Amino acid sequence: MEQPTRVLQPARERRQPLGFSLGAYLKSMDWILLAATLCLVVYGLFMLYSATHEDPTLSTPFWYVQSQAIGLALGSVFLITLSIANYKWFARWQVYIYGAGLLLLVLTLLVGQGEETVGANRWLGVRSFRLQTAELVKFMLIVSLGAVLVEGAELRHRFRFVILCVVYVAIPGVLIFLQPDLGTSLVLVSILVVMLVVWGIRLTHLGILAGAAAAAGVLALRVLPSVFGVHLLKDWQLARLEVFLDPEKDALGDGYQLIQSKIAVGSGMFSGKGYLQGTQHNLNFLPERHTDFIFAVIGEELGFLGAALLIGLFAVIVWRAFRIARMSRDLYGTLIAAGVAGVIVFQVFVNIGMTIGIMPITGLPLPFVSFGSSSLVVFLMAIGLLESVHVHSVAGRPK
Amino acid sequence: MILEPGKERRPSGDDSFLGIRVGVLLLIAFFLFGVLGFRLWYLQILSGDRYVESATVNRVRTVVVEAPRGVIYDCNGEVLVDNRAGLSVGMLPMDMYDPKDEPEEFQAEIARLAQLLGTSEADLLKDYERAKRDPYITYAVEEDVPEETVVAYLKEHAQDFPGIEVEKTYLRQYPYKALATHLLGFVGEISEADLDQEEFTDLTAGVHVGKDGVERTYDSYLRGTDGWKTVEVDARGRPVEFVEDVAAESGYNLILTIDAELQQAAEKAIVEGIQRAHVDGYTNAAGGAVVALDPRTGEVLAMASYPDYDPSLWVGGIEADKYAELLEPEANSPLFNRAVNGLYPAGSTFKPFVATAALDAGVVTWDTIINCNGRYSVAGQTWKDWTEYGHGDVNLVAAIAQSCDVYFYNLGYLLWEQAGQPLQEGLRRFGFGDRTGIDLPGETTGSRVPDKIWKRETGQTDEEQAWKPGDEINLAIGQGDLLVTPLQLAVGLSAIVNGGDVWVPHLALQITDSSGRIIHQFTDEKDGELGVAADILNKVRRGLRLVTSDPSGTAYDAFRGFPRAVGGKTGTAQKAPDDDYALFMGYAPADGNGDPEIVVVALIEEGGHGSSVAAPVVRRVMEAYFGYEPGGSEIVPVTE
Repeated sequence: MEQPTRVLQPARERRQPLGFSLGAYLKSMDWILLAATLCLVVYGLFMLYSATHEDPTLSTPFWYVQSQAIGLALGSVFLITLSIANYKWFARWQVYIYGAGLLLLVLTLLVGQGEETVGANRWLGVRSFRLQTAELVKFMLIVSLGAVLVEGAELRHRFRFVILCVVYVAIPGVLIFLQPDLGTSLVLVSILVVMLVVWGIRLTHLGILAGAAAAAGVLALRVLPSVFGVHLLKDWQLARLEVFLDPEKDALGDGYQLIQSKIAVGSGMFSGKGYLQGTQHNLNFLPERHTDFIFAVIGEELGFLGAALLIGLFAVIVWRAFRIARMSRDLYGTLIAAGVAGVIVFQVFVNIGMTIGIMPITGLPLPFVSFGSSSLVVFLMAIGLLESVHVHSVAGRPK
Repeated sequence: MILEPGKERRPSGDDSFLGIRVGVLLLIAFFLFGVLGFRLWYLQILSGDRYVESATVNRVRTVVVEAPRGVIYDCNGEVLVDNRAGLSVGMLPMDMYDPKDEPEEFQAEIARLAQLLGTSEADLLKDYERAKRDPYITYAVEEDVPEETVVAYLKEHAQDFPGIEVEKTYLRQYPYKALATHLLGFVGEISEADLDQEEFTDLTAGVHVGKDGVERTYDSYLRGTDGWKTVEVDARGRPVEFVEDVAAESGYNLILTIDAELQQAAEKAIVEGIQRAHVDGYTNAAGGAVVALDPRTGEVLAMASYPDYDPSLWVGGIEADKYAELLEPEANSPLFNRAVNGLYPAGSTFKPFVATAALDAGVVTWDTIINCNGRYSVAGQTWKDWTEYGHGDVNLVAAIAQSCDVYFYNLGYLLWEQAGQPLQEGLRRFGFGDRTGIDLPGETTGSRVPDKIWKRETGQTDEEQAWKPGDEINLAIGQGDLLVTPLQLAVGLSAIVNGGDVWVPHLALQITDSSGRIIHQFTDEKDGELGVAADILNKVRRGLRLVTSDPSGTAYDAFRGFPRAVGGKTGTAQKAPDDDYALFMGYAPADGNGDPEIVVVALIEEGGHGSSVAAPVVRRVMEAYFGYEPGGSEIVPVTE
């Protein structure tokens, strides 16, 4: 007797927020988040122009800016689409999203195109369209891991479930590590940790995981190479670690980038040398300045002020992301918002950190700013995801 | 596994701490951003001054240390090419004015430099474009710069020339001046086209490589490996600290088979031969070639081509007007190595080869007698002998000695009648019509032994496509469509005198390192064997011997009084509309008193008679080889 009403009742409830009304949608957007994101991307475009306009091989000084702007346009479409869509849709398709992610990574390993300079296969592409699959997989993993954690909400006390989650992340993590792309596989680890913490992992379980990770690290770096002769890390990856510890040791090889980027940032001083006035990148002193080392250009030309503004914008985005995590009406929204926040914090810290010499060099781009359409589009999609959680949390909520 | 059964039924309890957990993560995030900010404060505000200094002052530069090229010696250890220290002026673009930001200063600097070096601004701008590809490496724009004037000025006015650097380089020097230039070749900056070639894949623009001669053939041995110094320099460009120092490895030395003294004699003999031709009334004579081979090994003992050029013109880069001068028609192609690449009709010097082919084909024997009355007619055509009334009854040996044309006209017709083409086949076995394979770059592929197929393919009309008796008759006296090089004649004669071995002539003897250790020993290489009976070669050699020893021989006068027995053959080749080309090829000793040691071929372009003009040239070379004073008839003193 009660069944029909139980079916009807939630259906009517759901109609309220879902019925699309442009006014309600616009009102329920997180405009601060959107504004901060756009500011960052535009900031990035300006710095990208500064970093690349003197490249003599370009047909037009705007080549990189144009290419990145196409990424912005594409990403914006995704952002708006995702913000209108209900993020809960992803939870239902968890298995397929996860499977598709693994498929993409396996394909990348098999038929991917490489960056010849480091001998890594990171791209999957048809003609001029190329996708850095690991970028997309980061966010596929956030939405699918979130769904797994929601399903396991009652199993928080079960360490076996935690192990399951670790394995769930480890499979794509290892596939990315094999590309090899150590940086992005560490991003997956940061996603796991942040989402587990928000989910409510027991502190003891967290402690055990931390201990196991430390032991694994020692095993990989010290025991396996010296005792068993197994080298999990490539030589250049190890070299980067060593250079991080002592950059002057190899001032012209791997340490060169680090020394030069520190000089670039340091010489910017308080207010910088002025837009387009950087000297460090004029004569190719700074390799990779438009991708991983774009922050060095910002630090050099716009100084401490410009760098602080950039970090401030990231802080706003992270603040809004965690705020959305807090205000989400369901655990799933909370988890994916926190996952997105975690990725952004991790990449910003690692990227800027390596530019100024407090983190080892890993090829992680600066979100929204570094040149690279795959990264930009995917991060804009992530903002769309945050907006979706926000819209569906605010809409219909009593003011 | 830690189980907390008591908490199992409190799912919402965990959610209640959500705010705290998210808050803690947010705090951690802000803490990390704070760490970045703090570090930036330290870098940019507290120690920014130091980094500003680093950005402008601390520059790492790489200075290429040029490897000296290997030395080239003759077979007696005489230095033919070595190096001297020189100074070059180069551009270091990173220290020059930026043409975008400071166009006026940049232009002014280029203008000053152009005036100082005596070059054009356009050339320097071209150099700058090249130099800019690697802005921290000095790119040489002018080599072999005089120290007292240009370098001293640059040092005094250093502030007017930012980014203009003076560097030490090695420059080629030639103790014997223009001796053997065609063999040695020259060295120059690698060209864009060369950079794409496989043998030069490791090289970058600005590197010097061999451009011609053995400098090119053995470039990989001679070149050596450049080293480099990486230095940190201060704002004034003074080295602060050596970061890396990789020593240059000098190139290996090359020892050649040629003998400098013999080479000198050969070059002098050509000049004398040309003067002799002028005395004979052949005033168009202006060029010539000499090849001397060891018939036992194929080693080149001397190889001269006239006119020649001064290879030191290329040191520091040849100037455009000097190069244009070399290409003028009046200069008579001095860059051209006539000995290897000059294509000529062989004339009567071809008769021994034709005789060998005819004997081998069995159309005559050595004692087949043919009457020569001064003319020969077949198929309605008449050919004249070079003597008006003929040589009377001659056998093949006498026909070679007296260079009887009629005998060879007969041979030509007899050979034409044969099935197949025994004459062409026999000639090709000597190497005619093909490259000799000498170790010099760009040997001509134009040598030709005309035959039926060639005529069919090249003739325009049916008439021209047919292989007629006249074609074979002309070929039998080394005329018609035949084209050979002096080097081919020397290789061919060597095969006759050494019993049938066709050698690949070569110039390289050894590669050694700076301490004299042998890195590579070149071995003599056979191109093939004639496969002709020893008796046939004996009879041909007897004819060659009579050329100089019998009073009726065509070179009897030229070798009268020469202490060694010489065999040889004269040639007076017709190449309309030019005057006749004088040729002689000889070998010694020719009396069976030991194996022949030397084969010499001489050619004087438009020099007239082989007997009076080319044969004395060969005599001079042989005199030098055996160490005799110059002698013989009709000596013309050489005036420089």
